[in-house]
Amino acid sequence: MKIAVCSPQVPFVRGGAELMAEELVAALRARGHETELVTIPFKWYPGTRVLDQAFLWRLVDLTEADGQPIDRVIATKFPAYCVRHPNKVAWVLHQFRQAYDYDRTELGQFSESAVDRATRRAVERLDTVALGEARRVFATSANVAERLRRYNGIDAELLPHPPQSLPYRSGEQEGFVLSVNRLDRAKRIDLLIEAAQREPSVSVVIAGDGPDRARLQELARGLNGQVEFAGSVAADDLADLYARCLAVYYAPIDEDFGMVPYEAFLSGKPVLTTIDAGGPLEVVHDRETGVVVAPEAAELARAVTYLREHAEEASAWGRAGKAIAERVTWDACVAALLS
Amino acid sequence: MKVAYYSPVPASRSGIADYSALLLPALRERIDVIVAEPGRRAPRADVALYHIGNDPDAHGWIVDAFERNPGVVVLHEFVLHHLISGITLGRGDPRGYLDAMERELGVAGRLLGLGVLDNLLPLLWETQPERFPLAGTILDRAQGLIVHSRYVADRARAAGYAGRLWRIPHPAWPLREAEPATDVAGEPLIGCFGYLNMNKRIPELLRAFAALRRRRPGACLLLAGGTGERFDVTRRLERLGVGDGVIRLDYLPEARMWSLMRACDVLVNLRFPTMGETSGSAIRAMSLGKALVVSDVGWFAELPDGVALRVPVDEYEVPLLEAALDLACEHAAELGAAARAYVQREHALDAAADAYVSALEVAAGGDAVNDAVLWQIAEAAAAAGIDDAGALAREAVDAGIVG
Repeated sequence: MKIAVCSPQVPFVRGGAELMAEELVAALRARGHETELVTIPFKWYPGTRVLDQAFLWRLVDLTEADGQPIDRVIATKFPAYCVRHPNKVAWVLHQFRQAYDYDRTELGQFSESAVDRATRRAVERLDTVALGEARRVFATSANVAERLRRYNGIDAELLPHPPQSLPYRSGEQEGFVLSVNRLDRAKRIDLLIEAAQREPSVSVVIAGDGPDRARLQELARGLNGQVEFAGSVAADDLADLYARCLAVYYAPIDEDFGMVPYEAFLSGKPVLTTIDAGGPLEVVHDRETGVVVAPEAAELARAVTYLREHAEEASAWGRAGKAIAERVTWDACVAALLS
Repeated sequence: MKVAYYSPVPASRSGIADYSALLLPALRERIDVIVAEPGRRAPRADVALYHIGNDPDAHGWIVDAFERNPGVVVLHEFVLHHLISGITLGRGDPRGYLDAMERELGVAGRLLGLGVLDNLLPLLWETQPERFPLAGTILDRAQGLIVHSRYVADRARAAGYAGRLWRIPHPAWPLREAEPATDVAGEPLIGCFGYLNMNKRIPELLRAFAALRRRRPGACLLLAGGTGERFDVTRRLERLGVGDGVIRLDYLPEARMWSLMRACDVLVNLRFPTMGETSGSAIRAMSLGKALVVSDVGWFAELPDGVALRVPVDEYEVPLLEAALDLACEHAAELGAAARAYVQREHALDAAADAYVSALEVAAGGDAVNDAVLWQIAEAAAAAGIDDAGALAREAVDAGIVG
């Protein structure tokens, strides 16, 4: 089968969505399908730019390439799923959340002006039209599925995707809490640093880079090595960090999916998250596969202390998580997407 | 976003005033609403919302404001002949009436209007308004249209309205805890609420009830609501010999109406001809989980099977109505439960308020968004040497980017 995987690209930004698209292409190719990643740069501001960018996808003709029909299009994210194709499957990782749950929050982008309000509605309408065209719509988490149902009246099938391929292994924990994230405000890494400020025994390694790095480093100043910024790390090094950590911190605000808990689980580590983290809560269950606390530094500090003082229990929660993560496979995902 | 809201509100006695009393608090939880008042300066707002019904006394000032500053129209009924005649002929403006008739039917319409003015024809708004709805004068200037039913949506489109249109079901009232009235009784008690006139099929209802009473001697019919000047209910009751089985009440305060409705086993809401209205009484009945019998016309015909018993308006109307009443009495609990589940699902107040906000936001800023997107596209096209960007604009519309 000739398959085009469509995913937008924000130049110079790389995160879970980009990884997911690349891994999907690899998984399809590994199963004998001729697969290509199709991408267009995405800029969503100012004003109505978000709609212009969606229009680019509407103009793309993927019905065939060089005279050969393209059998299927799999689109992962706004605005890529606006592409038109008779065999379009949407595997929705994200909608344009500024038009939905981020609206009227500090993460939103639309003001109260009549034009901004109408632009938000235009995105909503476009999603309803574009996703309505798909022969099947999958959501990577119940959180995403619920948003599709609530705002667009679309019933999506739940299909979580496997985490990135790393040489996952479990190792002896060395007492630090690992954060693996793009460094931006929505990931709430500042909460973890504040927990370290409150509790001197909390030691943190922050892997990843992003626009919030300078602010976070400033916040961590004076913590005498309690917080280490590892920056972007290679796959082997990341697997090593997972293997050696006590637990993995992952507490974005109402995240749609999040691969990090799965990566932690495959390394046999429990996940520390918050009650408002969204998608991660579908697999991180309090005192079963990790710890779920209120989004407050003091609560996080207490949770880290507990994990350190109850290492056996923490290890057991990590193992329980591993059993969950191992059930999410590319075989199952590819079978569903091509069914 | 600010919305200037034009509607009759209580203490005005009308279904639309009741509707606004229900909707306004939910809207105010979501957007800034300024309720306009007759005789006062128009509120400054991003968009104006005009609730338009057929009563010139309640809606004349709203149409005046709409003509000065067009906005989004909530068309509560499609037939507006009475409204238009009231705000033209009723104000000494025969030319306005003739223009409206011409808009509807061309020269033939103008001639018919002249016939009415010269007393050569009966007053059309009293005799056959449904044949000459006169909604066109409103539709022509509406910047967006909100309707409650597919019936009105279809008629608006058929009348040539091509603008934005949203169908927002009439919201249901939150369930009241009112105790059932104890001063009315029947085995069963059948209720008919609302303004009573020929359109409500009261003669047919009385005949069907008289027939039902032969099978169910304990049955009682409660007729609650004001009557038209030329409609003598009492004399009809005497003629049919069912006077002792009928309780007649005039216009009721809200609390008393709910209490009486709750006491009924079955509620009836018949209509023909329909003006395209959605019945607040029928929505109330279903909110209460009452078995409901309606005419199979207009919005009522959109009620699904099992939610209400629909009676066709034809030569078998009376015997079918009698059978439907009997069936509704027999299965009141099941029908009522289905009706309640239906309005909770399809007529939820929060969903209606959300839909209003969505419609108003699009109406207020949608054109500017379309212009901005099309401008960007046209600019890119022009830079590539394509001077006529019309094709790209059409592509954008077809692709759902602008609308």
